[in-house]
Amino acid sequence: MKRAARRALMLVIVLAAWAVPAGAEQSHLLIVVGLGGEPKYTDAFHELALKMIQAAEKKMGVAASNITYLGEKAADPAVPVYKGRSSRENVQKALGTLAQTAGPGDLVFILLIGHGGAQGGESRFNLPGPDMTAADFAPLLAALSGRQVVFVNTASASGDFVKALSAKGRTIVTATKSAMERNQTEFPSYFVQAFSEDGADADKDQRVSVLEAFTYARREVERFYEKGHLLLTEHAILDDNGDGVGSAVPDPAVGDGRVARTLFLGGGNENAADDAASGTADPRVADLRRQRRALEQEIAALKVRKDAMPPAEYEEELEKLLVELARRDAALRQREGAR
Amino acid sequence: MTRRLARCGLGLLALLAAGGGSVHTVQAQDAAAALRAGDYDAAIAVLTRQARQEPRSAPAHRTLARTLAEVGRYADAEAAVRSFQAASPRSPELFNTLGEVLAARGRNTEAEAAFRKAIAGAAADALTAEVNLATLRLARGERDEAMKGFRRLIQAYNHSGSLSSEQLAAVARACWALGADDPQLFKDALKAFDEAIAKDPDNMDARVGLVELFLEKYNRTDAATTAREALEQSPSHPRALLAMARVLDADGAPGMMETLGRSLKMNPALEPARVFLAEARLDQEDYEAAAHESEQVLAANPASLPALSTLAAARHLQGDQARYEDARQRALALNPRNAELYNRLAEISARNRLYRQGADFAQQAVALDPRSWRGLGILGLNQLRLGAIEEGRKSLEASFAGDPYNVWIKNTLDLLDTFPKYRETKTAHFRILLHGKEADLLAPYAAELAEDAYARLSARYGYRPDGLVRVEVYPDHADFSVRTVGLAGLAGLGACFGPVLAIDSPSAREVGQFNWGSTLWHEIAHTFTLGLTGNRVPRWFTEGISVHEEHRARPGWGDDVTVEFLRALRSGELLPLADLNRGFVRPKGPEQVAISYYQASLVVEWIESQRGFPAVVSLLKAYGEGRSTAQAFESVLGTTLEDFDKAFFAHLEQRFAGPLAAIRPAMKVALPGQGPARTSPADVEARAKADAGDFDAQLAAGLALFHAGKRAEALPYLEHAQALFPEYAGRDSPHFYLAAIDKDQGRPGDAVKELQQLTAITDSHYQAQLELARLLEDQGDLAGAAASLDRALFISPFEPAVHERLAALSARLGDRAGLVRARRSLVALDPVDRPEALYQLALALVEAGDAAAARREVLHALEIAPRFQRAQELLLRLHDARAGSANP
Repeated sequence: MKRAARRALMLVIVLAAWAVPAGAEQSHLLIVVGLGGEPKYTDAFHELALKMIQAAEKKMGVAASNITYLGEKAADPAVPVYKGRSSRENVQKALGTLAQTAGPGDLVFILLIGHGGAQGGESRFNLPGPDMTAADFAPLLAALSGRQVVFVNTASASGDFVKALSAKGRTIVTATKSAMERNQTEFPSYFVQAFSEDGADADKDQRVSVLEAFTYARREVERFYEKGHLLLTEHAILDDNGDGVGSAVPDPAVGDGRVARTLFLGGGNENAADDAASGTADPRVADLRRQRRALEQEIAALKVRKDAMPPAEYEEELEKLLVELARRDAALRQREGAR
Repeated sequence: MTRRLARCGLGLLALLAAGGGSVHTVQAQDAAAALRAGDYDAAIAVLTRQARQEPRSAPAHRTLARTLAEVGRYADAEAAVRSFQAASPRSPELFNTLGEVLAARGRNTEAEAAFRKAIAGAAADALTAEVNLATLRLARGERDEAMKGFRRLIQAYNHSGSLSSEQLAAVARACWALGADDPQLFKDALKAFDEAIAKDPDNMDARVGLVELFLEKYNRTDAATTAREALEQSPSHPRALLAMARVLDADGAPGMMETLGRSLKMNPALEPARVFLAEARLDQEDYEAAAHESEQVLAANPASLPALSTLAAARHLQGDQARYEDARQRALALNPRNAELYNRLAEISARNRLYRQGADFAQQAVALDPRSWRGLGILGLNQLRLGAIEEGRKSLEASFAGDPYNVWIKNTLDLLDTFPKYRETKTAHFRILLHGKEADLLAPYAAELAEDAYARLSARYGYRPDGLVRVEVYPDHADFSVRTVGLAGLAGLGACFGPVLAIDSPSAREVGQFNWGSTLWHEIAHTFTLGLTGNRVPRWFTEGISVHEEHRARPGWGDDVTVEFLRALRSGELLPLADLNRGFVRPKGPEQVAISYYQASLVVEWIESQRGFPAVVSLLKAYGEGRSTAQAFESVLGTTLEDFDKAFFAHLEQRFAGPLAAIRPAMKVALPGQGPARTSPADVEARAKADAGDFDAQLAAGLALFHAGKRAEALPYLEHAQALFPEYAGRDSPHFYLAAIDKDQGRPGDAVKELQQLTAITDSHYQAQLELARLLEDQGDLAGAAASLDRALFISPFEPAVHERLAALSARLGDRAGLVRARRSLVALDPVDRPEALYQLALALVEAGDAAAARREVLHALEIAPRFQRAQELLLRLHDARAGSANP
C-alpha cells in the first residue's frame, strides 16, 4: 500500500518536472565581445563571436535582423550584424532596443565573451570604457520581462552574475562559480562549439538546447584540464529556476535545467510545436504527436523508477515504450513526409 | 655570564645552570666553537684542560665526559667522570653521565645503579637520570615501573617554573614514551623538544630526538628540515649525521651510506649507527655482512636489543633457523615482553619482500604487547600487501586509534577510504581493481593482457600462483605511492607484493612517460618469481627477469640501452653481481636505478642464451631454498660471481662495441639555446664535424638543424648518429626525425621502416605509433596500422580519435571483435554524444552477431535520446527480428 502511494507521488513529481514552460516564438541574439587586452585575445574573442553568428544563422535559422554583435571596433563592414563598439552605452542601447522589438515569449539570448574580474567585491565584465557589473545588467534584463532570457557570461570571475541576475523566466550561465575564479576561461570556446559543431545534441533531436550546450561545454572544459594534467580553475554553473543558486550539474528532474532543456536558439521548442500541431488540419498528425508526448512522459516516469526495479523488468518495459515511440515517430515522419 | 655561556657547547646551558660551576668562559667558548666546526679533538683538548684546572667542577667534567662519549671514547669518558668523583666523592652530580657512558657499553646494571644515585642525590640532571632509568626499565620489559618513571617527568614539568633545555629534552623523551598510552603526549613531546631547542640551540640531544620522533611518525619533510638544522648547528655531530642518514634512507635519496660513514668516522662505536649499517646490509640482501655487523655491536654491548633484532633478522633471512632462534632467545632473555624485537623482524622481513613473515612477526609483537601501535600498523600494512584488505583495515584502524600521528598509517587509511570508488573485474586468475571513472575503458585491455601474461609465464616457469592475483590500478600517482611506501613521492610505476600488485594507471602520468601494459606485465612477472621462491629471490634477479619478460612480451617493451648505461659500462661503474642490489636500494642517483634494471635484464638474458632457460628457473629454485647468490650461481651455473662478472662484462663490451666507440665520456653536447653557455647551431655543427664518431655530437647537430627547419641539412647527421648507435631509443631518437624527413621528401616507405625500427626498441613513443599507423594505412597495410594503434593504447588509451580509427580499421578488416572493442572503448570514454556512441556499439554488436547485447546498447542509447531516429530504426529491426524468431 505504502509502496503504491510512493509510486504515484513519484509520478506526479516526474510529470511536474517534465511539464514545460511556455515556448519561445522568435530568437534574438546579442553578442557582446569585451576588451581583449592583447591581440591574441581580441582575435580569439572575435573568432568565437563570428562562429556563433554563423551557427545561429546557418544552423539554427536565426534571422540576421535578429542578431546584434558589439565588439571592440567601432565598425566592421565585413560582418553585416556588427553594430558598433561594445561600450556600456551601446550595450544598454542594444538591450533597450530588444526590450522594444522582442515579442512576448521570444527568446533573447545574450552572450558575453571576454575578460572578467572582481573589484570592490563586484564581478565585472571588461568593456572598452567603463566595465559593466551584474548590477548594471539587472535593470536592462528587467525590461525584458515576459521574454525567455538566456544570459551567458563566459568570462573569468563571472560566477557572481548568477545571484545578481537570477529570476523567473531567465536562464543565467556563467563560466565560473564565483568571482574568485579569475583565470582565463576555456568555457566560451566549448560553449560556442556546442552550437557550431556536432556533438552537443545529447538527445539526438537535431537541435542543441541551452542545457545541452552548457553540459557539453562543462564536460569538455573538464576534459581539457584533465588531459593537460591541470587543476580545474573554472567551474561553470547554470541557474534557471530563479533561486539565485547555480548548478554545476543541472538536473531537470529536481532543480535547474528544467527551463534550459526546452530553450533552443532559433528553434522555439519541440513541445510548443507539438502543442501548435494539435490544432493542425491533419488530425492524424496531431494524434500521433499527442501519443508521442504521452509515451515520452511514460518513459521519463519509468526512468525515475529504474533503481527500484529489477533490471530485466525495467529493460522490458523500456523496450516496450521505446518500440511504441519508434513506431509513432516512424508514422509521424511518413505522414509529415507525405504532406 | 651564565647566559652567554649557556649558548655554547654541548647542552652547556643546562650543565652550567644545573651545576652552578665556574667554567672559564673563554675555554667554553673555544670548545663550543671547535664543536661547531666539527673539531672534536680540539674541543676535547680544551675541555680536558679546563677539567684539569677545575677538578671539582661538575659541569666541566660532565661536558668533557659527554663529548668524549659522543665520539666513542667511552673509557676516557668514564675516566673523566671517575676523576671528578675522586675529587668530589660526595657529589651526586656525575652519576647520570656515568650511567649514560656505561649504558652505551651495555653495562646496564651498573648504569641503573648510577642513575638511581643521581636521582637519590637530587643531582642537577636528576630528571635526565629519571628518563634514562625509565628507558632502561622499559627495554627490560618493566613497563609499569618505566611508565611511572616517565610520568614523574611530566609532574616535574607541570610543577616547575622553568626547566633547562636539557630537562626539557628529558621531558620530551618521557612524553614520547608515554605517547603509547596517550597519543596526545606525542604532541607534548614535540613541544618540549621545540622548547628545549629554543632555550639552547646547541642542545643536540633535543635536535636529534626531534628528528627521530618525526621519522618514527613518517613525517619525512619535518624530519629532513630538522636534521638539516641540526647539522647546520654542529656539522660533525655523529648522532645528527646518523639522523640525516636515516632521513636520506627514508627518502630513498642518494648519499645515505656516505652520511652514515661520516657518522661512524666520528664515532666508530656509535651503536645505533652500527645497527643501522647492519640494517642497510640487510636491505642490500647481504645477510652475512649484516650478521657480522650485528655481532660486532654485540661484542661491545651484549645487551643491545636492536643489534640482537638485526642479528635475528639476518639469520632468519638466511634461512638459518638455529642461529635465528639463538638470537631471538638472547633478546627475549633480556626482555621477555620485547614486542620491538618482533616489530623489527616484521619490518625487516617486509623490506626484504617477506610479507607473510612480516605479518606473522607483527602478530607476535601485538600478542606480546597489545598496545604496540607500531606492531598493529606493520601487521595491517602487511595484511594489505597480502590482499587481506578488511583485516588490514582493522589492524590499521586499531593502530591509528592508539597513535594518530603515524603519517603512513593515516595516509593508508585515507587511501582505503577511496576503495569504494574502485570497481573489481574478475578474470580466471586476476581480480583487477580500477577506479570507477576509467574501469569500463581499461578493464578489457588489462584483463586480456593479464591473462596473456599469466598463460605465458605460468607455462614458462612451471608455476601457478595460489588464488587470484589482485591488481590495483591507481589513476593518481600519489595514491599508488601511498599504497607502496605509505607516502607520496615514490618514483616507481608499479610494485608487486606477490599476490597483490599495484601500478599507475595511464591517467596517472603524462602521455609518453610510460607504457602501462609493459608495466603490468613486469609486475605480473614478479608475482611468478616471488611465488616460485617464497619471496626469497634477490631484488636484482626478480627485476632482471621482469624486464627480460617485458622484452619477450611485445616488440619494444622493457628498458633499453641508454647512453648512461654505456658510459657506466665503459667507465667500469656497472656494479658487480654481488653488489647489484645496491643499484636498486642504495643508488647513487636515479640514473643508477635505470642502469641497474637494464643491467639485471642483460644478466638474465645472457644466462638464458648461454645456459638455457631452465638455468634461470633453477636459480630461482635455489633462491627459494635459501641460497645466496654466490651459492646459487655456484650450484646452478658452476661459477663464482667473480668469474661470472668477468665473462659477463666481456660479453657486454663485445655486444655494445659499436655504440661504446661512439660515446664520449666527457660533457654532454648541449642543444642550441640550452645550458649556461648558449650554444649556437653553428657551434653544435662544428662539434659534429670535428668528431664524426661522436654519437652525441652527431645527434645534437641533426636535431639542431631539424628544429631550425633545415631538414635536408639535418639528414646526414641524423643518419650518422643512427649508424653509430642503432639501438638508441631515447625520446630524441634519430629514427623519429628521419621518418619525418623521409615523409617530407616523399619516401613514406622509408618513414615506415624508421618508425618500425623505433617502435621495436621503445615502448612509450606515442606519436611514433600514431604516425606509423597513419603511414601504414596510407600504404594499405590495414592490419599493421591497427596493430600499431593497439600498441599506442598501452601508452594512452584516452584519445577517442585513436579508438575511432581502430573502429574504422577493424570494420575494413572484418575484425568484428576488434570493432566491438573499439566501440566499447568509445562508450567508456563517456562522450558527450553518448547516444551516438551507444548506437555505434549496437551496430558493431549486430555485425558480430550478438543481437541480445546490441538490443541492450540501443536501449541505452534511446533511454537518453528517445527520438534518436537511427537508433529507433535499429531497435525496431532488432525487436521485429526477435518477435519473428519467437513466432516463426
